[in-house]
Amino acid sequence: MDSKIFVVAKREYLERVRTRWFVIITLLVPAIMAGVVMLPLYMATHSAASNEVRHITILDATGAGLGDRLAKSLMADSSLAGGAGSDTIAPRVVNTTPAELPEKEKAASAEVQQRRHIAGYLVLTDSTLAGKSARYAGRNASGISEMEKLTTALRQEVMIQRLSHEGVRNDIINDLATTHLKLNSERLSESGRSGSGQAGLFAGIIVGVLLFMSIIIHGQNVLRGVLEEKSSRVAEVVLSSVKPETLLAGKVLGVGAVGLTQQIAWLGIGAYLMNFLTPIVMRGASAGASGGGPAAVSGALGGMSIGLLGIALAYFLIGFVFYATLYAAAGSMVNSEQEAQQAAVPVMLLLMSTWLMVNPVLINPNGKLAVILSWLPWSSPIIMPMRIGLTSVSPYTVAGSIVVAIVGCVFAVWLSARIYRVGMLMYGKKPSFAEVAKWIRYA
Amino acid sequence: MSDLAIDIRNVVKRYEEHVAVRDLSLQVPRGSVYGLLGPNGAGKTTTIRMILDIILPDSGTITLFGKPNTSAGVLNNVGYLPEERGLYKKMQVKRMLVFLAELKGLTASEASKRIDEWMERFSLTTPEKNWGEAKVDELSRGMQQKVQFIATLLHDPDLVILDEPFSGLDPINAQALKDAVLELKRRGKTVIFSTHVMDNAERMCDSVCIIARGEKVLDGSVAGVKREAGARNIALSLAGGMQNGVGDVLRDKTLVRKFDDNTNYFELELAANADSQVLLRRLLDAGANIERFELMQPSLHQIFLQRVGATGIETGMSGHG
Repeated sequence: MDSKIFVVAKREYLERVRTRWFVIITLLVPAIMAGVVMLPLYMATHSAASNEVRHITILDATGAGLGDRLAKSLMADSSLAGGAGSDTIAPRVVNTTPAELPEKEKAASAEVQQRRHIAGYLVLTDSTLAGKSARYAGRNASGISEMEKLTTALRQEVMIQRLSHEGVRNDIINDLATTHLKLNSERLSESGRSGSGQAGLFAGIIVGVLLFMSIIIHGQNVLRGVLEEKSSRVAEVVLSSVKPETLLAGKVLGVGAVGLTQQIAWLGIGAYLMNFLTPIVMRGASAGASGGGPAAVSGALGGMSIGLLGIALAYFLIGFVFYATLYAAAGSMVNSEQEAQQAAVPVMLLLMSTWLMVNPVLINPNGKLAVILSWLPWSSPIIMPMRIGLTSVSPYTVAGSIVVAIVGCVFAVWLSARIYRVGMLMYGKKPSFAEVAKWIRYA
Repeated sequence: MSDLAIDIRNVVKRYEEHVAVRDLSLQVPRGSVYGLLGPNGAGKTTTIRMILDIILPDSGTITLFGKPNTSAGVLNNVGYLPEERGLYKKMQVKRMLVFLAELKGLTASEASKRIDEWMERFSLTTPEKNWGEAKVDELSRGMQQKVQFIATLLHDPDLVILDEPFSGLDPINAQALKDAVLELKRRGKTVIFSTHVMDNAERMCDSVCIIARGEKVLDGSVAGVKREAGARNIALSLAGGMQNGVGDVLRDKTLVRKFDDNTNYFELELAANADSQVLLRRLLDAGANIERFELMQPSLHQIFLQRVGATGIETGMSGHG
């Protein structure tokens, strides 16, 4: 191998890492990602199902004391923010009759509109008692988690009421009512248990997103670099010292190393931010309030086993070389940034078509689509590491897919080198498809 | 070791619609200054790019110092200044020069030392400002040309190839370049440059090759080329201009092939087989008052026009372009 490849790669690497943009993007992306993950988590623990659920008026027309029991149950729910006891405002229960209900409802409605500290009112009727329906009206009527809370509490009280009505013993009822079942999901694969299912999901998503972003950002960088060398005419000076293949290889290698550096920085900074922020975000939230969510997030990076990281690295290298050389070929064909965007469209289409398939694969990582995409050289570098994170894929499939991807990669390099060799010295109008085909044949 | 710096044999390069270089053979002796002359589109740049292995010939061989130009390391001994100058605009000048030198096989530390010397010599390092630390695009055009020239010579190559080095240079820089070329020659380096400015070639070159439409028209030492072209030209000054029958004599196609009419001063080209002494006698007989009658060697410019002909040149592109 030509040692000048490393001279070219070194320049590409150092010149890019030195730029302000590199530093900004390297720091900003994990910060934004941490924000994207942490914000919903913060919402989930702090504001979701807020104690506004308690600040309601209950119009109980059942005559069976359902309203009182519901109020007690809401007050006893420790998962409502602030914890039990710290909030002294209890739901106001108005016992009424079906005949008086319309009038009371009108009053309650006016009260909600006038007095800020009452969020809404709940109407309990015989229909509620029969397990059919209840009505709620209030300012927070569209808050999904709050309505969920209210529904769950009400459903439980109705159930207790009806069990009691059927003559079931009170201690049995209490026992039933306090059943808290938590589903602990764990991934099972040939190699044994590995982390929680959710951690795997997060790991899969993070790996897929990072690979995709890296390929897009740095693939475009290769294109721009090639174009810069061509349009500034420095290419001719460089090509008088090295072969075009060497220049191309060095460039892809150097920019790839930049991408790798950035990914490692992203993972490192991301892991640090997660560990640093999770306790802060979770502070004040009672244990188990949000199920396995936070544990999954902080465990996501831990969920990436060394094996997964190794495979992700291999796929990144293959995928990057595949796309970067194609981007380089696109850059060598044209003379301006505008033309470059057009020339890069076919490459972009390959990449975007893969990206659009990410969601279906996440939903069904063992589906036919996911399996097919794992074998196509342009999609496997993104899809396969995700699937490995999500589900169990046989080592033979992984090995086979890597071999196919490498073959595809070799073809892309061969094709790009031929286009690049001719394109770098070709100025003037943008070549047609037929002309590029000729370059490939004659180069 | 070969005595030839460059040996090109039967090289052909075809493009889709035309043949850029047709069966070209030329030899550049070591230590000489060699001019590659020809009108625009003659194939000069294509030839140079093939010498540098930037493009591959369809057939034929090119050897540099006795080795094929494709063999490893040979191009490390060649410096190239392309017609279209190009540098990494966003790079720091010194870092870029180190990079270009490393591509030629120099170590970074050795390159760095030499760069400092060159920068000083070209007054790119002054007490007020060290331009080596500036970015390339902060430099003026003139300074960028100096940097490009440094990049060409930094690795102290034995063969220096300059493609149209004089285009875009002001007279001062053009003179500096001529001096630099002569200094290279003094140090035993081989310099080959392409140009369509014949004056420069005539003054600087030991040998030349004229190519047109991808083919060699003639080559050899400048003195030899001129000798071969023969002293068929006569400088003639007449007191009183074309009086009497003088005009008739000059228009006699058996004697004079053509002449430039400058009122009192004429440049004549003798017709084939015509004798200069016969012409002189006829002029005297016609009553011409001759102040000067001199057999002249043709200039490269004239040889070029004569041999390449009007058809080989696109209008307005010949001569002092």
